[in-house]
Amino acid sequence: MEAFSFGSYYAGRSFIHRLDPRTKLLAGFGFLFIALASHTFPALAVLAIGIGISYALARIPVHYAVRSVAPLMVLVAFVAILTLFTEQSGRILFHLGFIQISEGSIYSCCFIACRMFLMMCGMSLVTMTTTTLDLTQAVEKLLMPLARVGFPAHEIGMILGIALRFMPQFATELSQTYQAQVSRGAKVASGPIGSLKFLSSISIPLFASVFRHAETLASAMDARCYHGEAGRTRLHPLRFCAYDVAAGIFMLALILCAAAIIILL
Amino acid sequence: MISCKDISFSYDGKVPTLSNITLDIADGEFLCILGGNGSGKSTLAKHLNALLVPDSGSVEVDGLNTSDPQLVYDVRSRVGMVFQNPDDQLVATLVENDIAFGPENLGVPTNELSQRVADALASVGLMGFDQHETHALSGGQKQRVAIAGALAMHPEVLILDEASSMLDPRGRHGLLKVCQELNHAGMTIVMITHFMEEAALADRVVVLDRGRIALEGTPEEILTRADELHSLNLEEPFACQLALELKRRGLDIRPHVDEESVVTEIRAAMGRHIETSLCEEIAASDEAPQSSDAAPLIQFEHVYYSYEKSTRERARRRKKNAPAAQAAEWGNDPNAVWALRDISFDVHEGEMLGIAGHTGSGKSTIIQHMNGLVHPTQGRVLLQGVSMADKHVNETAKTTVGMVFQYPEHQLFANTVFEDVAFGPQNLGLSANEVTERVLEALRLVGLDADEVAQKSPFELSGGQQRRCAFAGVLAMRPRVLVLDEPVAGLDPAARTEFLQLIDDLHARGLTIVMVSHSMEDIATHCDRVLIMNKGSIVSLGTPREVFASDRDLKSIGLGLPAPQHMACLLRDAGIPLPRRRLYSTKTLVESIVALAAGGVA
Repeated sequence: MEAFSFGSYYAGRSFIHRLDPRTKLLAGFGFLFIALASHTFPALAVLAIGIGISYALARIPVHYAVRSVAPLMVLVAFVAILTLFTEQSGRILFHLGFIQISEGSIYSCCFIACRMFLMMCGMSLVTMTTTTLDLTQAVEKLLMPLARVGFPAHEIGMILGIALRFMPQFATELSQTYQAQVSRGAKVASGPIGSLKFLSSISIPLFASVFRHAETLASAMDARCYHGEAGRTRLHPLRFCAYDVAAGIFMLALILCAAAIIILL
Repeated sequence: MISCKDISFSYDGKVPTLSNITLDIADGEFLCILGGNGSGKSTLAKHLNALLVPDSGSVEVDGLNTSDPQLVYDVRSRVGMVFQNPDDQLVATLVENDIAFGPENLGVPTNELSQRVADALASVGLMGFDQHETHALSGGQKQRVAIAGALAMHPEVLILDEASSMLDPRGRHGLLKVCQELNHAGMTIVMITHFMEEAALADRVVVLDRGRIALEGTPEEILTRADELHSLNLEEPFACQLALELKRRGLDIRPHVDEESVVTEIRAAMGRHIETSLCEEIAASDEAPQSSDAAPLIQFEHVYYSYEKSTRERARRRKKNAPAAQAAEWGNDPNAVWALRDISFDVHEGEMLGIAGHTGSGKSTIIQHMNGLVHPTQGRVLLQGVSMADKHVNETAKTTVGMVFQYPEHQLFANTVFEDVAFGPQNLGLSANEVTERVLEALRLVGLDADEVAQKSPFELSGGQQRRCAFAGVLAMRPRVLVLDEPVAGLDPAARTEFLQLIDDLHARGLTIVMVSHSMEDIATHCDRVLIMNKGSIVSLGTPREVFASDRDLKSIGLGLPAPQHMACLLRDAGIPLPRRRLYSTKTLVESIVALAAGGVA
């Protein structure tokens, strides 16, 4: 769990934290879109400034932000290095067998690395300032218009919420089963058949546990009168407020600036 | 309030789970439904809030018929229900969202919801927990959140379906207290349980047997009928058991369910002898001297363990905690730096060692050290004189020390019982013949008939058989030490006795046994030595007599005494001159009282 900390929630009460999760989710996607549309460094610079301001507003300490994005830097490096060898244009600087590096490939390598880094920062900010619970509710609400054409928006929200609730539970059970099977001499690496057996000795109890939990959970939800979305109220209904309008305007300005630069240059 | 008229129900249309049950539950009543596993008590509970509807007969709640699909939600909002497993009835990540779930479904307006959440939390004694994450709570807290979730729907009846059976004594006590308070405030409570001490507090007790009402009456009437209870896989509360035994020995005592009345009865029965008999303080010498020449199998030498591996991080946490060093009220403090501190003790060859302590006191961490699953942060653990830090020793530890974890049946996975039990020996790389021989031996040891079950799927077996099968899976490794974590958790009284017998048999065959348990009775009666843990440290270690005879240490950390010992203390407080510094079992306590009553010295 510790190893993968991308975008884990950073508790706070900043302006960004208090935004409606829908605003943040939409803004995040808007940001991704504009970052993908940017083809020049100046456009990326505008986006970088925008992200910088947002992190400052969210009052997230730099080392937290870095720690959050760091695990995915491997992915960024991988894609960047791949580009180095595939994108070719301009003068050839280095040549060895089928490997060649040109001016153009260095440029696009740097560019892609910067763009992906910014995109990660953007998404990480959304999840760092929003609880998973709010995120699921936002997803549910944003998908709601599709419910008219029979899309199970509420059910998906409910499923996400319950999955999140049971995640730590299953992590604990998994580690218990692992310990029990290791105590019976099971080894992770013991040839293909042995490994398969080891895997099933851990996954089958987990599936059994999922079904066992699901059965009681269903009864428990029935007992508490759950009958789908109809007539359901909310403890904390999502509401847009003045902050969201301000954030929307900020986002729009950022997009316009970036767009202007893309078009002008 | 609720009236069941002649209800019958069957899950498969053939075997009746409930037959012809007629039961009325009055407004404000505290009703307890008892029965062994498979007696139909949970099925009956599900009929009371329309989770199930009877095949014949009718159930009415407040005059609403549960069979009417139109009224289902009216019925369920009037009858709240709490289930057995604390882990699978909470739906949300945060406590407040979970409690709001019921009223949200009922369409309670938003501005009223937060008030309902706050009220419900207050009535289960969890004020200020609204922002806690549900998975981080202790079992007892989770069950109280589940009660709050039901209360937030403003029900008139609360049903608890074995809600305390998976909790430790402290959690169980808290749950019971909440139920009693709610009952005093006018709530009708229906409690399904196989803990007799809980049943003793009810207004009325109903005992089910194979889907029929076998006994019905006040706790005084029902719980004193020992023979009938035994035939129904139940046992009477200890106070009752003692009174009945004394009566059989000729003392004029009427059995009661509560301790105080029994103490009063005993005092009255022997009143004139109390003054005449001498109150002698005998240091009991009836115990065999400790055989210290037995070789230590496992040795703990100044073991410290922390979940935080880096020293820097530990120092940081310590600093953070230093100013606010208040102890967590329930369970362990998640920020505590050390899960174990300075643990030193030996496990001797051939002994049975009991480990007791609250949930989170470090018991489970200790046993994980015993076969090298985790390694001490500081200090060392030796197996037969060699440190387990050695990789080779760590390998042999898995075969020398067999581990049976809590609810071991949850680890069953193979297609057949045979394959599951064979998993361990196969991992050891044994020949097919050897594997078969070991599997058959292990199944025989746990009392399973190989011809009958070996080719069945482990998931087809009954709960008790599944646990035996999981035991066999560990025994097939032919360990010298068997480590058991709460081996009888979640079993009904009859099954519990059978399992403890099984463990005694294994011990008698020469197996060294380490048993973690919440039940002080089990530890006092079965173990040679007891280790008491509190907050990661050893509080006391010694024979049951040494540990339990001085009740002060245990009381200060909130652990109970074995029932006979507790009763002896109460009797002494009432002026009956029972010698101190002695460990009483039911038998010796009866002997002492009879002797005192006859005018002699205990």
